[in-house]
Amino acid sequence: MNSLSVYLTVAAVLFSLGLFGVLMRRNLIGMLISIELMLNGANLNFMAFNRFLAPEPAVGQIMALFIMGIAAAEAAIGLSIILALFRRLRSINVERAQRLRG
Amino acid sequence: MMWLPHDPVLSAALACATLPFLSMAVILIFTRPYQRLSCAISVGAITVCLGCALYLLITLRHAPAPVEYQWAWIVSSDMVIPFGFLLDRLSLLMLTIVAVISFLVQVYSIGYMHGDPGFSRYYAFQSLFAWAMMTMVIAPGMLQLYIFWELVGLASYLLIGYYYEKWSASQAGKKAFVMTRLGDIGFFLGIITVLLGFGDLGILHMNHAAQAGDIHPAVVTLGAILIFCGVVGKSAQFPLLTWLPDAMEGPTPVSALLHSATMVAAGVYLMSRIFPFFAASPDAMAVALIIGTITMLLASTMAFVTYDIKQVWAYSTVSQLGFMVMSLAAGGYFAGVFHLTTHAGFKALLFLCSGIFIHEYHTNDMREIGRGGGRKLTIPMICMTVGALALAGIFPFSGFFSKEAILGVLAEHPNKLFLGAGLLGAAMTAYYSFRLIFFILFPRSTAEEASHHEEAHGHGDDHGGGHHGHVFWAMAWPVMILATVTLVLGFFQNELQSYLLALEPASHGHEAVEHGGHGVGHYLLLVTAVCLAVGGVFFAYLEFGWKKATQEGFLRKFPAVETLFANRWYMDHFYRKALDLLVYCGFTNVFTRNDRRVIDGGIDGICRFTVGGGRAVSFLQSGMLQYNLVLMVAAVGVLVLVFAL
Amino acid sequence: MSGSFVIDSLAHAVFWVVVGIVFAGAALAVFPRNIVYNVLGLILCLTGVAALFLYLGSFFLALMQLLIYVGAICIAIVFAIMLSRPLHLEVPKRRMPKLAAGIGAASIFFAAIGAVAWKTAWKPAAERGADWTITTIGHLLLTRYALVFEVISLVLLVAIIGAILTTGFSRRLSS
Repeated sequence: MNSLSVYLTVAAVLFSLGLFGVLMRRNLIGMLISIELMLNGANLNFMAFNRFLAPEPAVGQIMALFIMGIAAAEAAIGLSIILALFRRLRSINVERAQRLRG
Repeated sequence: MMWLPHDPVLSAALACATLPFLSMAVILIFTRPYQRLSCAISVGAITVCLGCALYLLITLRHAPAPVEYQWAWIVSSDMVIPFGFLLDRLSLLMLTIVAVISFLVQVYSIGYMHGDPGFSRYYAFQSLFAWAMMTMVIAPGMLQLYIFWELVGLASYLLIGYYYEKWSASQAGKKAFVMTRLGDIGFFLGIITVLLGFGDLGILHMNHAAQAGDIHPAVVTLGAILIFCGVVGKSAQFPLLTWLPDAMEGPTPVSALLHSATMVAAGVYLMSRIFPFFAASPDAMAVALIIGTITMLLASTMAFVTYDIKQVWAYSTVSQLGFMVMSLAAGGYFAGVFHLTTHAGFKALLFLCSGIFIHEYHTNDMREIGRGGGRKLTIPMICMTVGALALAGIFPFSGFFSKEAILGVLAEHPNKLFLGAGLLGAAMTAYYSFRLIFFILFPRSTAEEASHHEEAHGHGDDHGGGHHGHVFWAMAWPVMILATVTLVLGFFQNELQSYLLALEPASHGHEAVEHGGHGVGHYLLLVTAVCLAVGGVFFAYLEFGWKKATQEGFLRKFPAVETLFANRWYMDHFYRKALDLLVYCGFTNVFTRNDRRVIDGGIDGICRFTVGGGRAVSFLQSGMLQYNLVLMVAAVGVLVLVFAL
Repeated sequence: MSGSFVIDSLAHAVFWVVVGIVFAGAALAVFPRNIVYNVLGLILCLTGVAALFLYLGSFFLALMQLLIYVGAICIAIVFAIMLSRPLHLEVPKRRMPKLAAGIGAASIFFAAIGAVAWKTAWKPAAERGADWTITTIGHLLLTRYALVFEVISLVLLVAIIGAILTTGFSRRLSS
């Protein structure tokens, strides 16, 4: 069970599910949730490499911490954008945000 | 060249080539509102230039070889186009003439242009004119010469159209500019021909190589004929001569400058500048000879019928230029340059005198001036008569000597037709110039007693200038100086000849003009020419001066011919027709259509294509973020699969 | 021996259970059209990932995961859901072409990642330290990674200000 490939596969599944969500969901909050899933997949990869390959165990954890920081920032910005869009369009359906349609 | 005192010569040349330009810049930028200051700057600059020119002439008088200062300007593989100064005997002589005439004209203009609102502008343009002409004269290479040649054209355009609020003046400026430009196209093509065929534009190199036969004869002929086109435009030769009479719209001092030493002289100067080059091509010489002859005769006939005092001198300028071209084309290098020199003197004199009359009587019509009492102005009247005598080629005046020299050259030409034309031209010149003099001197319509009255007052007219104040005297002094020059210059023929041809300053007889030609024949020619000139004067007296004369002229009996002459042989009509047909109907139409259909249509087509293309592809921009993302992710995935594995 | 075996197999079993929880949470976070289920699924999934971090030997990261993701981000999302229109009332039908395209793209990408992960011969570093303590992490953060640490602080600050400005401006514009 404790092999690198298993973790990588789990991480890939998480990432792909998140990707699918980003591509599919019309709800902007749903898209944000999916992005969190993708970030977690990446995080899991970092931790796995840290556990099985890296020379210094502390470095991978620091990377994971940074990703969490980024995720927090991204969530804050994303949510504020969603709120702003909602005030504008009275909707958070991404398919309605079509101002740039050609 | 190391034996020369290096710096003073160079700095004098540099002063000539920069000071007038600086004065123009200063006047245009800083001192336009201050008329007196502008005038002082311009006249000061030209005075310094005159000093420098005289200094150069005296210093380099005996220099055996031309002095050249050159800096490489354009270097392209083995082709070098220099920029600098070439000081040889011809350019120094011409430089001095230009400086003297410009100086006198500018001094004269203080009086003539007094109180004109555009006074500063006038002096700025005068400086530009002097600068362009002087730098052109001492140019060592054809390209520099061409550049300043065009600047001379620009300056003359500005000055001819000086009264730009006057429709005819602006039209005349435009005409002068465009017609000279027509010739300049040929000139430029000629330069290119020389550059391609010979590879060097240095004037001395061209001359030496052409003399030594280093250039292919076809190149020489083609180049010479094309360059001669420039001469035709600038010096108002046969097909392009009508701009010069129209150029009378400018202020009279400008006409004086234009007609004597600068604009039109530039053409003849160019021809004498590369005289050996021309001489190497007999065909080009023949063309030039024919064109010069036609010009001289045509312009003389036009001068028969006009009553505009300035236009008579204008036509005479054209015909005298034709004379010079004839002389150069017949091989008389010295005679042409000599006539250029003397003509510069007496033509400036004539114009400046006419300017005084025009300034006094506010009319250009010689009959009105006569009726208004033109002969009361004693000084200008005497001076003008001196000028007219010189123009007609009567003995002690400078024109006599140079004209004799030219006729001597023509006599040597195998085809005697040209000699006959020259003699005929001399007689015609005498006739029309004295027609003008007699018109002013013996006015008709005023009562006899009035003329007596004027006679009585005639003596007081010297003082009559006095109450004109400095305005009159600023105009009178240059005129008197020029009259003196006209009187004296002819007697320096031998000195000038030995100077110009770099001969030993020994005493040559009159035969020297012919280079030891036939003595008796020459004296016969001399007598014939003088007789013809005097005959012309007498004929004019019979028709216009004599008390019982009708002042109508023999041409009144041939109305058709008179109309033909008065309409300038319908050359202007021809140009107008040609312009209408060729340019307005032909080119303009084609270009308009090209503009509408091809260019506009093309751009419209491009626009339509772009818009349509945008429309066609815009469905991709559905505004659906996720479709874009899908494509992107799929593409990245495929790329990873293809390249990373 | 047998005790450790029991514990090992128990840990094994628990690991797979955790993996199952992660997958289930992820599926719950993505597939249902009701946004509230999605948030709950996300919480489940993130908790599972925290457990995986435990398996990977980092108790500290597991705690941080719970604290930041579950404690902060998920709560913020819940707030956002409550502030916007109750979307669980409005659930439009999915469109099949889009679904197909999404599935296709995601599976291509999954194939790519999976292929890379499986095909690569991963090699551990020659010398591997065993220092997992928080002390070391803190030490490194303030020495070797001080710059990155400051940059991430700046990013967070900018994000906060940006979020405030975005919502504030839009309020002024819309009202």
